[in-house]
Amino acid sequence: MNLEKVLIAFSAALAIGIPAIATAWAQSRIGSAGAGTLAEKPELTGTIIILVAIPETMVILGFVVSTMILFTVK
Amino acid sequence: MIVSMSKVEIVGPKDLLRDVLTFLRDRGIFQVDPEAIGYVPPEEEKDFRSFSLDVQTTVERLFLEDLRLKIDGLLASLPALPVRDSYIDPSTIVDTLAAAVERHSLHARELAELRDALQKERADLERYRIFLGALASLVGSTRETPDLDFIGLTIRETEMVPRIRDGLSRMTDWKYELQTETAEDGTLVGLITVEKSLADQVRKALSEERVPELTFPASFSSLTFPEKVSYVQKRTLEAGAEIERSEEELELFARRWTPLYRSLHGWIDDRLALLKTTAQAYETRMCFFINGWMPTRDLGKLRQDLQVAFGPRIVIDEKEIREEDLERVPIALRNPAYFRPFEILTSLLPLPAYTSYDPTPFIGIFFPIFFGIILGDAGYGIVLILLSLWLRKRYQKSRLVRDGAAILLVSASYAVLFGMLFGEFFGDLPERLLHLPPLLVDRRTAIIPMLLFALAIGVAHILLGLVLGAVSAFRRNVKREALYKVLSIVVIFCILAVIASAAGRFPAVVTRPAVLTILFVAPLLFFSGGVLAPLEFLKSIGNIISYVRIAAIGLTSVMLAFAANELGGLTGSVATGVVVAGIIHLLNIILGVFSPTIHSLRLHYVEFFSKFIEHGGRKFEPLKK
Repeated sequence: MNLEKVLIAFSAALAIGIPAIATAWAQSRIGSAGAGTLAEKPELTGTIIILVAIPETMVILGFVVSTMILFTVK
Repeated sequence: MIVSMSKVEIVGPKDLLRDVLTFLRDRGIFQVDPEAIGYVPPEEEKDFRSFSLDVQTTVERLFLEDLRLKIDGLLASLPALPVRDSYIDPSTIVDTLAAAVERHSLHARELAELRDALQKERADLERYRIFLGALASLVGSTRETPDLDFIGLTIRETEMVPRIRDGLSRMTDWKYELQTETAEDGTLVGLITVEKSLADQVRKALSEERVPELTFPASFSSLTFPEKVSYVQKRTLEAGAEIERSEEELELFARRWTPLYRSLHGWIDDRLALLKTTAQAYETRMCFFINGWMPTRDLGKLRQDLQVAFGPRIVIDEKEIREEDLERVPIALRNPAYFRPFEILTSLLPLPAYTSYDPTPFIGIFFPIFFGIILGDAGYGIVLILLSLWLRKRYQKSRLVRDGAAILLVSASYAVLFGMLFGEFFGDLPERLLHLPPLLVDRRTAIIPMLLFALAIGVAHILLGLVLGAVSAFRRNVKREALYKVLSIVVIFCILAVIASAAGRFPAVVTRPAVLTILFVAPLLFFSGGVLAPLEFLKSIGNIISYVRIAAIGLTSVMLAFAANELGGLTGSVATGVVVAGIIHLLNIILGVFSPTIHSLRLHYVEFFSKFIEHGGRKFEPLKK
C-alpha cells in the first residue's frame, strides 16, 4: 500500500519534473537567441516574448497530468 | 480602437500647392501617400505625372540641406547646455547665419581642441606628479654621475620584479641597480640605474617585454629632479586655469549661439519636409493632386477649413477604399482613458491590420482579471494598490511609469476582489486568526475545482477569439477562413458536451449527437482549413489547456503565503514570527507582480490574439511640424 503511494507520488513528480526541465532547456536556448536578436532589432520584442513563452505549455501539460495522477489514481 | 480612415484627394491650382501643404502640416491630420491615388482613365494618364520641382526650389533644397549639415557639425562641437528658446523668427536670419556658420564652426572647434589638449596635458602632468613623488625617495639615495643613466618605469604586477632583475643581470653583467616604490595611487614604480652605454639596450628589452617606461617631455630634459617636481606642480595649476578659461569661453559662445542655430535647424527641418512632400504630389498642366489618408471624423472640419482659407479653388474629395488599398491604410489607435495605459502592453506587438482589431481594449478587460485571479490575495492587492498610488505620485512626469502604475492599480483592485472571494489576506490569515472561511473557494485545497475554473476561462476566452476571428475573416471576405473558425467553435462545443456527459454533468443522451456532429464536421474542417487544419485545431485545444496556468501559478502563490504564515508561527515569538513571515510575504509579493503579469500577457499574446488579430498595419504618420 505504502509502496503504491510512493510510486504514485514518484510518477506525479516525474510528470511535472521532466517537462519542467525540458521547458527550462528550451527557454534557455530561445531566450539567449532572443536576447541576441533584441540587441539588433528591439522592435521584435513582442515576437521574442511569444517565442520564449511557447515551451511553457509543456510544463503546464505536465502539471495537469501530474494533478490527474495524484487525484484520480486510487 | 482602430481609428476609421478616409482616402482623400485634394485638388487645386499648381500655384497653391505649397500653401495647401503648409496648411495641412499645421493641422497635423493628413498623411500624404502618393500610392493612394484614385482611378485615372487610361486616356488621361499621359497628362498626369509626379510633381517636379522647379530650378529655384531645387537650389533652395540643396542650399538648406548643406546648411543643415554645417549646423549639425557646429552643434556637435558645442557643449550640450540647457539654453533658452530663441524668439527670433528663423526665416529672417537664414542668410546671416549661413554666412557665419563656417566661421563659428572653426572658432568652436579651435576652442574645443585647445580644451582637449589642455585636459590631456593635465592628465599627463598628474601621472608625472605621482611618478615623481614615488621616485623622490629613490633618487635621493642615488648618486648622480655623468656615466650613469636613470630609467623610470611602471610595473603592472609585483611578480614581474624578479623577472626584470634576471633580465637586467644578464644584460648588464650585474652592473645595475633597481629600486621599487609604491606610488600614492597604488602603482608600483621602479628606477633602474645603469651605465649610459647599456641604457639603450635595457630600454629596448623593456619595450619588448612590454614594461612601460615613463618618459618625460623634452621640456623636462634640462631640469634637475627638484626642478621637475616644482615645474609639474606649477604647470598643473596653469593648465587647470587655462582649461577653466577655455571652457568658460566655449560655454559663453554656446549660450549665445545655440538657441539661434537650433531654432534655424528646426525651421530647415520643417522646410525640407515640406519640399520633400511637394515631390509626392501629382500634377497636370494646371492643377496639383495630393492623395493621402486622414481620420474620417476630421474630414468635415478639414473641408470646411479649406473652404474658408482658399475658397472654391481647392477641392477635397473622399475616394472609395478599394480592396487593394486595405493593406495601405495607415493605423491610428484611439482608446478611452481607461484603456489608454494598456497601450504600453500592446505596443510590444506589431500594429494590427486595418481590417483587424485593436488588441488594447481586450487586454484592458481581461489582463487585470487574470492578474487578480492568479494573485488572489486581498492583503497583497492592498500593498500593490498603495505601491501604484505612490509610483503615480512620485513619477508624474514619466508616462511609462504613470501608465504602468495605472495598470497595476486596476490589476491589484481585482486581486483584492478575488482575494476576498478566496478568503486570502496575506495567505490564510483570516482563517488562522479569525476563523473566517473563504467566501467562495479555498484555493489551497480545492485544486481540481480551480483547474476546471481555469479551463472554463480558457474555453470562454478562446471561443471569443474564434468568434472575433470569424467576424474579421467575413469582413475581409475570406470566407473559407471564416467557415473554419465557425466549425472549430462547433467542434469545441461538441467535445465539451461529450466530456461533460461522460463526467455525468450532462445527460448521456447528448453524447451520441455530439459525436456524430464531430464526425460530420471533421471533413469540412479539412476542406476549410487545408491539410494543416487538424494541427491548427489541436493547437486550439492546447491553447485552452494552457489556461490551467491561471490555477497553477495561483496555487504556488497561495502555498508560498501559507508557508510564510506556518514558518512565522513556528518561531514561537510574535516579533520574530512577523519578521520571518513578512520577509517571505515580501518575496511572494515581488513574485506576485512579475509572475501573473508575464503569464497573463502570454495568454493574450500567444493563445488569444493568435485567433483573431491580423498584424502588419503601418503607423499613421501625418504631415506635421
